Amino acid sequence: MPMAALMICLAGPGSTAFAQANVAPDDATGQVQTNAAAAGETVSERAQAQSLDQEVQALKNEVLDLNRDLFLLEEDLLFPANSQVAFFVSMDVGEYFALDSVNIRIDGKEVSNYLYTRREVDALIRGGVHRAHKANLKTGEHEVIAVFTGKGPHGRDYRRGATVTIDKGIGAKYLELEITDRVIKQQPEFVIKDWE
Amino acid sequence: MPPARQLLNWLGFAAGLVACSGATAADVEDSNSIVIEDPHYGEVLYYFYQQDYFPAIVRLLAARQQQQLPSHDAEAELLLGGMYLSYGHHLAAAEIFERLLADNVDPDVRDRTWFFLAKIWYQRGYLERSQQALGEISGELPQNLQREALLLEAQILIDSGEYDQAIARLQNWRGKTEWASYAKFNIGVALVRSGRVDAAAELLSDLGKLNPFNNELMALRDKANLALGYALLQEGQAGAAKASLQRVRLEGPFSNKALLGVGWADVELDNFQAALAPWMELKGRDLLDSAVQESMLAIPYAMAKLDSIGQAADHYLNATEAFREETERLEKTIQSIESGDFFGTFVNSSSLDSTGWYWQLETLPDAVESRYLFHLLATHEFQEGLKNYRDLNYLYRNLETWQSNIDVYSNMLETRREAYSVRLPVIEAALERADLAAMVGRKLEFDSTLNNIEAGTDWLALASRAEFATWGEITGLEKTPALQSDIPEAAEARDKIDLLKGVLQWQLERAFGDRLWRIRRELRQTGEALVDTQRLRRKIDESMRNEPLHFAALGGRVEDLYPRIEASKMRVEDALSAQRAFLQTIAVRELRAQQQRLDVYSIQARFALAAIYDIAASTGEAPE
Repeated sequence: MPMAALMICLAGPGSTAFAQANVAPDDATGQVQTNAAAAGETVSERAQAQSLDQEVQALKNEVLDLNRDLFLLEEDLLFPANSQVAFFVSMDVGEYFALDSVNIRIDGKEVSNYLYTRREVDALIRGGVHRAHKANLKTGEHEVIAVFTGKGPHGRDYRRGATVTIDKGIGAKYLELEITDRVIKQQPEFVIKDWE
Repeated sequence: MPPARQLLNWLGFAAGLVACSGATAADVEDSNSIVIEDPHYGEVLYYFYQQDYFPAIVRLLAARQQQQLPSHDAEAELLLGGMYLSYGHHLAAAEIFERLLADNVDPDVRDRTWFFLAKIWYQRGYLERSQQALGEISGELPQNLQREALLLEAQILIDSGEYDQAIARLQNWRGKTEWASYAKFNIGVALVRSGRVDAAAELLSDLGKLNPFNNELMALRDKANLALGYALLQEGQAGAAKASLQRVRLEGPFSNKALLGVGWADVELDNFQAALAPWMELKGRDLLDSAVQESMLAIPYAMAKLDSIGQAADHYLNATEAFREETERLEKTIQSIESGDFFGTFVNSSSLDSTGWYWQLETLPDAVESRYLFHLLATHEFQEGLKNYRDLNYLYRNLETWQSNIDVYSNMLETRREAYSVRLPVIEAALERADLAAMVGRKLEFDSTLNNIEAGTDWLALASRAEFATWGEITGLEKTPALQSDIPEAAEARDKIDLLKGVLQWQLERAFGDRLWRIRRELRQTGEALVDTQRLRRKIDESMRNEPLHFAALGGRVEDLYPRIEASKMRVEDALSAQRAFLQTIAVRELRAQQQRLDVYSIQARFALAAIYDIAASTGEAPE
């Protein structure tokens, strides 16, 4: 048999392939993991992966705490509680108005013009509240004007303003720029009010 | 759906943990049920809904420290746990959930939470923790979760080599859902691994003939046929093996191995001609696949068996060359990976907006290396490692940003301190000029004078300057000696003066009450202004006392944060290196394995070629 030697040289029927094809679902979703990779998941590697993961977990904790402290420092430094005024945009339902942007003027001066992405508008509709602007204001009366731009009922361009005169005292003041649906009128409504 | 998101969906943070027992994903999706009482909580949700977990967590931690979430305390804790999970901070999340679950919580809530934690830990390779969490489930989970939990438990047992236990867990599985198919497959795998091929064959054969209604089941059917086919091949049942392998789709992830197996089944049946058909089909496919590589040796083997020695020799030569080129490419890839550049592409190729649990590598970086690591990139171990690598990179950049910001804040603070020190003497001088005590004294003096005027009804005291002058003139005229003479003209003049004096007095007396009221009002206003000024002065004094302390406190915080940023940055950098080294090790190991396989194939090819030449030399025939 001239080919006998060749037979010996070659692997038996599908020996390598069998090892690889002996697939097993690595999770309940049935994703495939080949044995070549699975074999590599040695115990020591898994232990190393876990040890690294634990280190990452500890670091996440550390950096999150650090970020909290830095965030608070930034707030205290830039917007001391006594003079702070924050403007929060909120949205209820959003059937009659698709928000594009909010423009805020304080005492006739434009302080913020924020353009919303679709993702941000979705977050607002789901109940999120966006801090559109933060400012330092002296005690006393100030006029606030907010202009909301977007698409109104029937997809028409819509631009409405709301105004309020606020009395800034000592301590932080939070204002809500609220967009609500007026079901009876089938129109959106825009209100600026103290957050209560 | 990733387990963390599933967990969040049903937890329904709006309702709070206790009220959550009946919540479903749909309840949570209904945003109308969320009433935001504290704006800062709404702000956290704003980021949370955009899946920007890191800023959402930071805001929540900050708001909680500032006690700005009085109305959302309970939900905030639960939301934090959920966000930690989403961010891949699973140990911290577990701490929160374990704490919440220790309270008097609805058993349904507790069981579901344990289930999701088990699932997450399994993915992260914490098998023991995962098993423990499953063990904490005391009641009945909803049916779909119950099935998943059972599969998960069996999978953990299979991973730990406890095949009999895994089989026992799954054996009583009933139902016709796709979960049942997965269970069957898992039992089959466990049976094969424990050497009970006949028992496995029955199960896998059923599965291999199922009528799939979606892509997942199609893949599962292919897998079952492949596993069964090779198990039967190994048992020497080539005919049955071929039938099973031929049920695998021709264009699927398992098709290469199936084609290879069909060929070997034909070889077992001594049908070398037939074996060539699937192998020749394989030959044209991607050489990266080990089945394709093996086919390059199998083809000349079959040809040699068919006495086509010359063709066999050509194929062996081609294979040797192809293996050599592939080995060289692999070597270059290994060098590139060892240089560390490759992993940079994972963090540079897409934005770092998404971090944490949900991030998944959906498209491979456009690099030569990707092609060789295809299988590796699909594994949990590597994916989780990559997630950590990206998260660490995010942390590093975050710290870098803060490091430059804190420099700005430090400068800002210093500028303010200087401006304050410049303004302070000017303000102090102005304050000294404004003698508040003297002002108060004068005001009190006024009060006293006014009291006397009122008590004495001293209407002349409140006369205007003109009236007072007129009054002086009249009284001056009264005293004129000429008017004292007893002549009719003098008497007439005296009468006129009396009349004038009387009119003026009447006017002054009439205006007295009004004037007194006005002066009192003004004096009261002056008093109030003085009180305000005194209050303001006290505030200025307080500010002058506190401002340096305030500067010192802020300065202290900045100074404290500086080294913390630096230290964290260094630790993150170290962890990044370690994580990269770990990923490199796995990747290089995978590539070395591919190289070794190619080496073995090359040796086999060369040996076979040498044998062919030997035979040819001994028979005096050159290979055609």
